[in-house]
Amino acid sequence: MSDATTEAEQDGNERAGEEAVYRGTKELEHIIKLRQISKTYWRGKERLDVLQDLDLDVQKGAFEALMGPSGSGKSTLLNLIAGLDVPTRGTVQIDGADVGRMSEGTRAKWRAANIGFVFQSFNLIPVLTALQNVELPLLLTHLSGKERKKRANIALKAVGLADRVSHLPKQLSGGQEQRVAIARAFVNDPKIIVADEPTGDLDRDSASEVLDLLGKLNKEFDKTIMMVTHDPAAAERASIVRKLDKGQLI
Amino acid sequence: MNAATYAAKNLLRNKVRTGLTILAIVITMLAFMGLRTVLDAWQAGADYAAKDRLGTRHKITFIMPLPLSYVDKLRQNKDANGQPLGVTDVTWANWFGAKNPNAEKDFFANMAVDPESFLRVYDEISLTPEEKQAWLSNRRGAIVGDLLAKNFGWKVGDKITLEGTIFPGNWDFVISGIYHATRKSADRNSFYFHWNYLNESLPEQRQDKVGWIASRITDPSKSAEISKKIDQLFAGYPDQTLTMSEHQLQISMMGMLTAVLTAINVVSLVILAIMLLILGNTIAMGVRERTNEYGVLRAIGFMPRHLVMFILGEAATLGLLGGGLGVLAAYGIIDHGVGPALEANMGGFFPFFRVSPTTALMAIGLAMLLGIVAAAIPAYRSSRIEVVDAIRRVG
Repeated sequence: MSDATTEAEQDGNERAGEEAVYRGTKELEHIIKLRQISKTYWRGKERLDVLQDLDLDVQKGAFEALMGPSGSGKSTLLNLIAGLDVPTRGTVQIDGADVGRMSEGTRAKWRAANIGFVFQSFNLIPVLTALQNVELPLLLTHLSGKERKKRANIALKAVGLADRVSHLPKQLSGGQEQRVAIARAFVNDPKIIVADEPTGDLDRDSASEVLDLLGKLNKEFDKTIMMVTHDPAAAERASIVRKLDKGQLI
Repeated sequence: MNAATYAAKNLLRNKVRTGLTILAIVITMLAFMGLRTVLDAWQAGADYAAKDRLGTRHKITFIMPLPLSYVDKLRQNKDANGQPLGVTDVTWANWFGAKNPNAEKDFFANMAVDPESFLRVYDEISLTPEEKQAWLSNRRGAIVGDLLAKNFGWKVGDKITLEGTIFPGNWDFVISGIYHATRKSADRNSFYFHWNYLNESLPEQRQDKVGWIASRITDPSKSAEISKKIDQLFAGYPDQTLTMSEHQLQISMMGMLTAVLTAINVVSLVILAIMLLILGNTIAMGVRERTNEYGVLRAIGFMPRHLVMFILGEAATLGLLGGGLGVLAAYGIIDHGVGPALEANMGGFFPFFRVSPTTALMAIGLAMLLGIVAAAIPAYRSSRIEVVDAIRRVG
């Protein structure tokens, strides 16, 4: 018991020292702070420990890639950061907010204001045009219809699809669909964009365009980007690559 | 774009399915409105009945006759205590029940009446002075409603023969006049002839009997009181009476049809239940197919209540479209097709067979309400989805 206490104290001292170094040298701010995160699922009577005692700090404005084999817990970790799920144990602090302790309704509002999502299979609403898809998150704001439309148009222009505003998803190529999804992800100016295999369903050229866009959002608009990927070429675009295996960062 | 745009566009997602669902609602609502209109039409018959006219029949049953002498007794306008009864005029009639041998399946009411008093008491039956004179002066004369004349192709002056059923034999008549109705209380499909013609043709023991007596009263608000006094007047006689206003008579006849009315109501409910199942199934299928999409909406910040609103809004819109088109179809089919035909051929039962605004509004309201009820469970389930499960991807 006494040994364990000593180890915990030592860990705490080391982290405090590390943060002091960051502050003293680069004045870095951690927008994502995960402490002692565990996530357990139950499949019938079978217990699945997807994440175990995981700590993670991500600097504001970082572009990080999470890699690892299937089942390593990448998407689960991303879901916790995005406030889609809560940990079984541990704390999830995003930009000062204790997301893990929020009620579901509060988390939904928090996500609407702070998180942009990019999915592997784009997940656009098939019956809505590109413009309407991008406008969708803005329906949750108090903006007027005119202002919503204006912002959605600007976002589509930023991803190079100003001439595709009236197209339905089925009328767009995969790369174009993902660019619409990216426009939807940043139209409400979130602090963090989470991207789950954003290039997984794309050819090389389209993937490169999408990664360029994510890089642009990171550099020019100071968005923190957390990207799960299996693709080493995609991971190369990130400033930090973290590897996950069996629920732990390695 | 707003939330309603999304709900509305969802309806166009699977046009064939939406179209078939709307068609099912249209047919259901059409059937529902048809049945409601039958009920309304019967009710209308009672509503149109004259309230200042009383009918007196045998207390035991409608088919037992009353002595003709009761007519004279009532014409004295004195109750059992010798006080004024409140009756201004009296006539009588017998149900004849004959058929047109050229169209045996076409039912029509035919009655033996006392022409002079009949035209006074039933003053909504309108004849030209010439026709009236012709009828009064010809013992074999008969008057027919304009719809009946049109149906059988009868004209004034035609000699016709009816085949008796209650009073067997062939009965010859001359059409003296074709009457029109100045109020809806008169049936335009009836046939009236001289009671004397019938009475004199009967064996002596069956003569001077009447089927019922109709009395005009001074004050319709006292119809119940006067009816009671009439029945009291004949309480000590061998043939006791039952008197009620035409309005009450119609309602009591509807009461006899309680089983039919109940059956119609049950069928209406069954139709609505079928619609509920059709809608519920369609909406549940649509919602199930969109689980991933709802997961995405939840991920980007939409709340469970937003999803519920989308789904209920979509279902209500579906109900509104189906109900609205059903009402249009009902107006087209019932008001401009079946309705006029029924009024022309079965005016006695259905004097006014049209879709009422209340029925139309009820149909639209019910279609929307049922849509919402049918969507309640899928909507609730969608609100309970786990976002992570809905957008699941193994990672």
